[in-house]
Amino acid sequence: MIAVHDLKKLYGDFTAVSSMTFDVGPGEILGLVGPNGAGKTTTLRCIAGIISPSGGTISIAGHDLRTDAIEAKRALAFIPDEPHLFEYLSVEEHLRFIARLYGVADIDARSTAILSEMELTDKKRSLPGELSRGMRQKLAIACGLLHNPSALILDEPLTGLDPAGMRRMRATITARASAGAAVILSSHLLNLVEELCTKMLVVRQGKCVAYGTIPSIIAAHPGLEGLPLEDVFLALTGDGAQGA
Amino acid sequence: MNALLYLVFLSARNRFLGAIRRARSPRYGAALIAGGAYIWWFLIHPMGKMTPSMLQSFLGQGTEMFVTLLTVLTLMGSWVFGADATALAFTQAEVSMLFSAPLSRRRLIAYKLFKAQIAVLINSLIWVFVLRRGGTILPSPLRAIGIWVLFSTLSLHRLGAALVRSSWTAHGQFAAKRHRWSIVVFAGVGVALIVGLISGRQELMSAPDSGEFFSTLGRLLASPPAVWGLGPFRLVVAPTFATSISQWAHAIWPAALVLALHLLWVAYTDSEFEEAALEASIERARRIEAMRTRRTFAVGAPRSPSSTIQLASVGHPALAIIWKNMLCLKRTAQLRVFVGPFAMAIAVGFAFTTGLDTAAHIAISSLLFAGLLLIFGGRLIRNDLRQDMQHLPLIKALPISSGDIVIAEVASATLPIAAVQFGLLVICYVSLFITRTYWVSPQIRTGLLVGAPFACLAFNAALITIQNGMAVLFPAWVRLGPVVTTGVEALGQNVLAMIANLISLGVGMVPPVIIAWGLVTFLHQPRAISLALAVIISSFVLGIETYGAIRFIGRSLGKAEPLQTV
Repeated sequence: MIAVHDLKKLYGDFTAVSSMTFDVGPGEILGLVGPNGAGKTTTLRCIAGIISPSGGTISIAGHDLRTDAIEAKRALAFIPDEPHLFEYLSVEEHLRFIARLYGVADIDARSTAILSEMELTDKKRSLPGELSRGMRQKLAIACGLLHNPSALILDEPLTGLDPAGMRRMRATITARASAGAAVILSSHLLNLVEELCTKMLVVRQGKCVAYGTIPSIIAAHPGLEGLPLEDVFLALTGDGAQGA
Repeated sequence: MNALLYLVFLSARNRFLGAIRRARSPRYGAALIAGGAYIWWFLIHPMGKMTPSMLQSFLGQGTEMFVTLLTVLTLMGSWVFGADATALAFTQAEVSMLFSAPLSRRRLIAYKLFKAQIAVLINSLIWVFVLRRGGTILPSPLRAIGIWVLFSTLSLHRLGAALVRSSWTAHGQFAAKRHRWSIVVFAGVGVALIVGLISGRQELMSAPDSGEFFSTLGRLLASPPAVWGLGPFRLVVAPTFATSISQWAHAIWPAALVLALHLLWVAYTDSEFEEAALEASIERARRIEAMRTRRTFAVGAPRSPSSTIQLASVGHPALAIIWKNMLCLKRTAQLRVFVGPFAMAIAVGFAFTTGLDTAAHIAISSLLFAGLLLIFGGRLIRNDLRQDMQHLPLIKALPISSGDIVIAEVASATLPIAAVQFGLLVICYVSLFITRTYWVSPQIRTGLLVGAPFACLAFNAALITIQNGMAVLFPAWVRLGPVVTTGVEALGQNVLAMIANLISLGVGMVPPVIIAWGLVTFLHQPRAISLALAVIISSFVLGIETYGAIRFIGRSLGKAEPLQTV
């Protein structure tokens, strides 16, 4: 569903991402983890078509992002950590806007359902400026999920959500994966990654340092057996010494 | 060093160093030169000496009285309507770091005053340059001190009024009692002024023309009781209008005394102002955000919309972009920009009429406003890529081609501007029908009106495309989203951007103008038909050129990355 091969992204002389190769099949959830500045957001932005890769290929639902960008983006939803919303569109109008862009025919029914799911029904006429940080995040999530994407990219999806919202978001991610979506989830919350993800990709300084299921990653690195995921992460990213 | 002084000093130093670093880049360096040249030419470059009569009219008693009245009315506004809440405003960082720090209110106010002095000094400097251009007898340093005293007093008064008002709002009668002397003094000023104007209202009403009205007003303000109210403020204004060193020397001491009294008043107004300051800070942040996105007319905070525009959920996706931008137009004061020209064209037409031919004046003013809208329309509204470039990550993730995005964005600004312009041209056309003035034959007028909608669309689309192209191709030169560059190089960027706009439009207009000239010259048709055809066909040619430019900008937008815009 999402296939990334030899992805490279340069900013001038600086290599933000290099030789990144992975794939996420239907129903799989990939946890993308790494220290700050490791290249996680750059990788996600490349996959979402926001920035152009300097090399490599990205395919979404069988569509090459370089040659068939519109169809690739139509199958995709990207939910950033900081919600990007239009200041003068109400909650309901954001959904109408997205519906038109993605060609969602049954917008009234879908909009009602997703507003209810995100607990935004009472706020449907509100402008983003009138919403709390958490509600803005929920609106961004609602916009992402409205067209039932087959590939879902989430950058720190729990940021700003209350405990109930976090629980619901976890359930939503699992439900979307169970329905056949390929999900990439970037987060610093290692317990979330451990709970939800079927695979994990650990990046450091723009490079993949570990990729696979959590047991397979531990098995491939002698000395990590029996350690909690936090210690595994610190050992893989080379931050163990600093943390000790 | 005191922590607050350290903050002010380092902020200023880093801002200056940042500007120097930016100037190392060729485009910012070029912009710095252009900005410097602009400032020199329009602000510093001497214009030649003023004659004594010019000096008298420019810095005379009438102007002095007018400035005094304006000062008092502005300050009354801040007392009565509380419009100066932002006088208390701190930045978000200041609120979170300084309000929670172990600092007394008096120190926070002193910090606010110190920071305000930076703006006061810059404004004083600008006015010194403006006033010295004509050449005056008074040396510039003395003029600078006079202006500094005036602006400092105004700044202190605004802050004092805001402190008293915030205290009154929070603590009611208790605070009113505590600040009774401030309230009584300024209420006295207001009463003296109002009584003075009411007592002379018959004279004002019977003034035969505007000249007599203003001289009557001047007389009223210079006589009791209005003069008592204006007195302290006249003292502050007087050094600025001094025309000789001796006059200045006599005027500066009373002005300095008023300034000192204001300083004492503010320093000892120890109100619980944090809550009001917090609200003011939020309001200021909103205003800055509105200015940054050039919604300069957006005075009110966005509220829940009461109505919407319907949008079908299926159809070409580009329409969703236009729909979104139209909602933005509808929900911001930008809409007033379009309703305004109609009202103003008619109002100005009536205002300048001599009673002989109102319709002719309305026709002229309609034509004038249509022309002004052509020049300034794209600057007044920015519901296009200049606004959406700040949402670049979202825009680029959408399943719509970059070319279609640019077309939709350009159309969002072009369509409303062209519609208003055409409306104004229709008003002009109708007005000319009923006027007795006979400038152009009715046939030619009709021919031009037929071509007008095409011309309005083509011209505006070309202009808006150029401005959107600047936003995509040279994002650092156009004010976009949250990052605003200030200073001389930012001014220079605007100048260079304007020149680039004019050159692009000039080059783009060459083929349509040649075609129009050829059609009018060689088409052996009645002049009205030739003109209509020339306007329509050359508009199409300009449209084709614009479409090519849009496609080029679309390809550039496809390659643009969010980091390039920040």
